[in-house]
Amino acid sequence: MMGRLWAIGLNTFREAARIRVLYGILMLVIGVNLLAIVLGEMSIHEQARVARDAGLAGISLFGSLTAIFLGVFLLYSEVQRRTIYAIVTKPIARWEFVVGKYLGMVLVLSVLVALFSAAMLALLTWQGVALSSAIGKAVVLAWCEVLTVAAIAVFFSAFSSPFLSGIFALALFAIGRVTPDLRAAASTADASWIRTVSSATLEIVPDLHLFAISGRSVDGVAASVHGDYVSWGYVAAAAGHGLFWIAALLVLACVIFQRRDFV
Amino acid sequence: MTTDVVIRATDLAKTYRTPFRRKKVEALRGVSFEVRKGEVFGFLGPNGAGKTTTIRCLMSLCAITGGSASILGQPVPSRAARQRLGFLPEQPYFYDYLTVNELLDLGGRLFGIAAAERRRRADTLIERVGLGNARGQSLKKFSKGMLQRAGLAMALINDPDLVVLDEPMSGLDPVGRKEVRDLILELRDAGKTVFFSSHILSDVEQISDRVAIVVGGKIEDVGRPRDLVGRAPLGTEVVLAIVDDADGAKDATAAIAARAEKVRATPGELLAVIGPGADVDDFLVFAHRHGAKIISVMPRYETLEDLFLRRVAASHRGSAPEAVPP
Repeated sequence: MMGRLWAIGLNTFREAARIRVLYGILMLVIGVNLLAIVLGEMSIHEQARVARDAGLAGISLFGSLTAIFLGVFLLYSEVQRRTIYAIVTKPIARWEFVVGKYLGMVLVLSVLVALFSAAMLALLTWQGVALSSAIGKAVVLAWCEVLTVAAIAVFFSAFSSPFLSGIFALALFAIGRVTPDLRAAASTADASWIRTVSSATLEIVPDLHLFAISGRSVDGVAASVHGDYVSWGYVAAAAGHGLFWIAALLVLACVIFQRRDFV
Repeated sequence: MTTDVVIRATDLAKTYRTPFRRKKVEALRGVSFEVRKGEVFGFLGPNGAGKTTTIRCLMSLCAITGGSASILGQPVPSRAARQRLGFLPEQPYFYDYLTVNELLDLGGRLFGIAAAERRRRADTLIERVGLGNARGQSLKKFSKGMLQRAGLAMALINDPDLVVLDEPMSGLDPVGRKEVRDLILELRDAGKTVFFSSHILSDVEQISDRVAIVVGGKIEDVGRPRDLVGRAPLGTEVVLAIVDDADGAKDATAAIAARAEKVRATPGELLAVIGPGADVDDFLVFAHRHGAKIISVMPRYETLEDLFLRRVAASHRGSAPEAVPP
């Protein structure tokens, strides 16, 4: 089984590595980091904070957008271009194909997040910003978020066109980032239907807010990359949340993919 | 169930439903046939008859909605059966950034073949399908015929017991078609079972031990080609040389044509078809008297093509089958 997953994953990595848009995104992230330096210089005594925030936001945002792009494109294109015919007629289960594709995306996204982070760290060092373990924790959390978003995109791609999958995945990404507001709406909104809808949404959307730790409070506890407020325990708990959603979304994607006719 | 049955389809049915209107499209309406071990089995049918749908159902690309099927003794879908079969899809699409070596390596990995053995098999197969000079090229640069060959190599990477080929001669030039025919016969000689679909009737007739004709999602005939076609002659084709004299030739042609069922004149020659009940000797004497020289006399029997066209025509006279998704 591992050999088959590796074969599919490696092939997915090869395919993704050919997509030139990814190199453009990498350049964009470097550009965002450079912009952060300029913005930092414009601020008063907040150069480090702005540089860190912009760098991490770049990893999170562009990493997630790349995850959506790859997630909705790579699985769908296998069916659309009929390359899947030569694969699923081999002794491979369809779930292995879906998971293999996801693992290939994990490989690509991990390399990208590593490159994004390296660019950010290089620029922070150049700017003379002190590096701490909090940045490492923030990067790990951003990586978990990107992988969770990739699973969301793969899930939608299992049954929908790239356009719709992209819209759905973007919507979930956006909603997942505002869970504190949803939680507030669920408990304090005047209209009962808003409370109901907010509560229901919180149940079916991964809490991506957990992965953003720039000066925020999570469950009343300060969580910030700008100080040593974030423990590895918190990182592990957030990663566990992401892992749960990744597993759930992939199981659903596999169940849907199992029932598909390839015509 | 006899153990030498490699593929068994029993009342196989496939109904597609359109996504929103839920309209039913019956692609297969009770397809039944058996393919026996070691035979080359041709699966014939016009476009949209259900050949590819049948193959997709057998290859687990589509869910069967009625009836049942088994491959190599395993009910479809079966990973155990897929371990022992090779499949070439119609108009194969592969990852165009791979070379043929990398494609076969990917195929070998999916079968769990060890690295050294993968390399050995890939080298052998690449030579066998005539792609030795294109090893380093990405598939994107391959012609249609080369892709077909790469697909054949991919279908054989696991040294399968059963090879399923969907339109393997499609898009190939006569040389390529002959090579595929030879390869199929080689596979049979090596003890493999080959199931292939085609609408190139001459190819099917040449190499198939048995054939099935599918029309409108139903099997119309199954059997050996020579058993399926009628044994009684349909008539006799006589080719005559007409002496090159303008007036005489015209008279002779007219007289002979009057006694034949059908004629086709070309400069200096006349092809006359005499009906099955006509006296051939009498016709030949008559033609000779009118100055014609006899070039050849050939009794004409029904061919697979005649049978095929008859079945298709009968189907069109009856209820027209619904279009099958491409």
